[in-house]
Amino acid sequence: VTVSQPSLLSDDLVRALMAVGQVDVLVGVPTLNHASTIQPIVRAVSEAFVRYFPRERTLLLNCDGGSTDDTPAMVRGATADASTVTMHHRLRTEHRITAPYHGLPGKGSALRQILTVADLTQAKAVAVLDADVTTLTPEWIAALVRPVRSQHYDYVAPIYARHPADGLLVTQLVRPVVRAAYGFRVGEPLAAEFGCSAKFLGHCLEQDVWDSDWAQYGIDLWITSTALAGGFACCQAPLGPRQAVTPDRPGFPEIFRQIVTATWCLEQHTAFWVRRAGSEPLPVVGAPIGTMAEAPVQDGARLLRSFCSDLRNLEDVLSPIVGPETLQGLRAIAAREDAPRFPDSLWVRTVYEFLIAHHRGVMRREHIAQALVPLYLGRVGSFLTEYGSAPPTEIDAALESLGLEFERSKPLLTDHWVPTGER
Amino acid sequence: MTIDPLWYKDAIIYQLHVKTFADSDGDGIGDFKGLTGRLDYIRDLGVDCLWLLPMYPSPFRDDGYDIADYCAIHPSYGTLEDFREFLEAAHARGLKVITELVLNHTSDQHQWFREARRSRDDPRRDWYVWSDTDDKYAGVRIIFVDTERSNWTWDPVSRQYYWHRFFSHQPDLNYDNPAVREEIWRVMEFWLNLGVDGFRVDAVPYLIEREGTSCENLPETHDVLKFLRRRLNESYSGRMLLAEANQWPEEVRHYFGDADEFHMAFHFPLMPRMFMALRLEDRKPLVDIVERTPPIPESCQWGVFLRNHDELTLEMVTDVERDYMYDEYASDPAARINVGIRRRLAPLLEGDRKRIELMNGLLMSMPGSPVIYYGDEIGMGDNIYLGDRNGVRTPMQWNGGWNAGFSTADPERLAQPLISNPLYGYQSVNVDAQRRFDHSLLSWMTRLIKVRRSTRVFSRGSITFLYPANHRVLAFLRTLDREQVLVVCNLSGTAQAVELDLRALAGALPIEMFGRSVFPRIGELPYMLTLGPHHFFWFRLRRV
Repeated sequence: VTVSQPSLLSDDLVRALMAVGQVDVLVGVPTLNHASTIQPIVRAVSEAFVRYFPRERTLLLNCDGGSTDDTPAMVRGATADASTVTMHHRLRTEHRITAPYHGLPGKGSALRQILTVADLTQAKAVAVLDADVTTLTPEWIAALVRPVRSQHYDYVAPIYARHPADGLLVTQLVRPVVRAAYGFRVGEPLAAEFGCSAKFLGHCLEQDVWDSDWAQYGIDLWITSTALAGGFACCQAPLGPRQAVTPDRPGFPEIFRQIVTATWCLEQHTAFWVRRAGSEPLPVVGAPIGTMAEAPVQDGARLLRSFCSDLRNLEDVLSPIVGPETLQGLRAIAAREDAPRFPDSLWVRTVYEFLIAHHRGVMRREHIAQALVPLYLGRVGSFLTEYGSAPPTEIDAALESLGLEFERSKPLLTDHWVPTGER
Repeated sequence: MTIDPLWYKDAIIYQLHVKTFADSDGDGIGDFKGLTGRLDYIRDLGVDCLWLLPMYPSPFRDDGYDIADYCAIHPSYGTLEDFREFLEAAHARGLKVITELVLNHTSDQHQWFREARRSRDDPRRDWYVWSDTDDKYAGVRIIFVDTERSNWTWDPVSRQYYWHRFFSHQPDLNYDNPAVREEIWRVMEFWLNLGVDGFRVDAVPYLIEREGTSCENLPETHDVLKFLRRRLNESYSGRMLLAEANQWPEEVRHYFGDADEFHMAFHFPLMPRMFMALRLEDRKPLVDIVERTPPIPESCQWGVFLRNHDELTLEMVTDVERDYMYDEYASDPAARINVGIRRRLAPLLEGDRKRIELMNGLLMSMPGSPVIYYGDEIGMGDNIYLGDRNGVRTPMQWNGGWNAGFSTADPERLAQPLISNPLYGYQSVNVDAQRRFDHSLLSWMTRLIKVRRSTRVFSRGSITFLYPANHRVLAFLRTLDREQVLVVCNLSGTAQAVELDLRALAGALPIEMFGRSVFPRIGELPYMLTLGPHHFFWFRLRRV
């Protein structure tokens, strides 16, 4: 653990940590200009400490990336709801630290600081929260921490009460890839919120990833995949509906982020996943919280039309990335004027070939990612056209079918994947 | 020699049970002659006031708190003449003596109750609280929840229910009856005329009953207490009344009145919070309760304690705090009784010398007059399997010989069995052994008391908490006029560093009070201290 690096923990932070001493539960919240959302989150954490962890030594650590909107002051100034304080007596001193993080700008550096502080304070359980969330309640913290504290899990992934037609980047791309590659069915492999143990965070800190650019935008998936590949005891915890001020935008930046991250993770864990076959579910700890969100309103037909018109311009770019069979399939979809459909098998093949191309670096990586965007929109448009108004159970069945297709077709990935050291 | 009428404000009180302190006649029961023979020990410890548990004739169904005659000495303890001699000997050594005054109830064997229950027309009938039904004062809490199901008990003799807040064999006196007040005053006069210096008044919140109330802390109860205090003031000076009112500080505050009720009252909620702060390694509970404590009249004083003859009461804590205390200090269910924990100080702290020292250091530096429970100064153990609270009332351990030097009787005949286990037994924990060494707990306690008594700042000074960022460090200033003492305690079992903001004291020179070592002068920068596990400092701040 590199706590001795002067750039990682400032003298002020170390002095504050001396006062805190050992903690049982640490909640970390990275921020960057989150003044509009941070106070309810701090209040929720504070209430969670009082309600659910009255005996534990707790710390709320805010790692700020240089906010210009007074976010750290908002963190310090947030006070718990008076009725909660009255109803739930606090046994211990409440500790709340806000500190700037140093190093590369991005979530990876913030998370590294959180985990380093957790390691230094010997935290037994850590929960990391996203400052963008507007629906976070004290129960989220309890749900993420309790499996670690009381059931000895090392990593707790969240389950959001979301409609199955929502979060298509996850359901169409990241979730099935993780399922097929790592052999575990994780509902939210991209989640910004998670819980973890001292053992797992120690393992994470030992990995030589923190100074890479990838860690700044792909750390969420790396955390999940590292827990799975490292043989840690993993589970999932229902949290309830999740809404954020910055919703997922399935555009180029996000696609780029995920394709790069997925490749990076697969490259990191090749020795683990190439041997895996099939998949198993992660246990769910805790009762569902809240009701499922409404189905999002999305225009699948428009996305499909966009795909059909864009494909012609992309063929030159696509040919070094995907095989002839895949390209032919894509052309066939685009050529259909009535109800074009992007089948599971073709989507799986497309994704795998993109991952391999990206892994091999057949062209500039950002160009590869950019090329996937219209294909992803085509797939999403097709899925929405087919299932957009279907009942949730039917959508779930379709997503399960997609997951199985990724598993069945995994040799397409493993057969062409060259371990990083052999390239 | 002139006696300071506010002597109790500076007192260090030693609480003991005559029955288990020293037996002079070999009958297995402690007595006043035995106690008189041990007064030098008590004086040498450095305390200056004795508080005696009930010494009256009693059927002993509540260890003497069930009094059968208020104006006599239990024959097992000796005679009134023995008591007089004891009192004279104590006074000769500069030791004040306060005795128990159980106001709220008598034994059902007391003559008053025997007469009262004879018939409904008996003149004594109205000295107690009677009812044809057991539904009056519904909802009033039951104190001894482990043994009693109701505050009413049916009297088959006079065919009515009688009221009792404690055990069913302890009927409550009826203080609405002026004759009862007068008679209780005559009891007080009796002992005051013998020379006792005050009374620890038992169970004061419960004297009066009123429908629709909790029957606790009622204004009429305060009227009774003001009556007794007025009578005391009229005829006696330099005497003291100490209230046992297990209530929140703001409630207890009323028992001081306008300095016209009690001179002293125990601070019950502080006690469990000292233990809580230690186990949590967090000053918060302790600071919270002291800050919640209202100011009291200038002539009044709090009584502070770590342990006493009762259970470590957990009535004045929240449910969360009570659960925590049970889990941390009474994992063995046998250690729990009523709403508390029946353990002595040393076993509560697992015999850890550092924690015992820290807790006594806290006790001696908190605002109030500290009370030491007999035997805790040598780290005596307990026996939670003896029933009721008898496990913390075992014979004083004077030496490693026959019956620990307590009695020459056959061991089987002792009033209470001795503690004899290898950890806390009298063979290893006793006065004689600890007298031999400067580093023993007894020697340390003697030094602690001496240092405490070297200044009145602890007994009469104000308290101001400092709030260093390190919550494991409790730091406060005690101030009396120009004198200041800085107390810094590490509540944690690991070494701690702390930065204190002492800019307001810039220029002062801290002198550690036990070794008189001079520490660096206080300046404008944060004052850095490091403390070993459970270590504490008392600094006298001097401007040289």
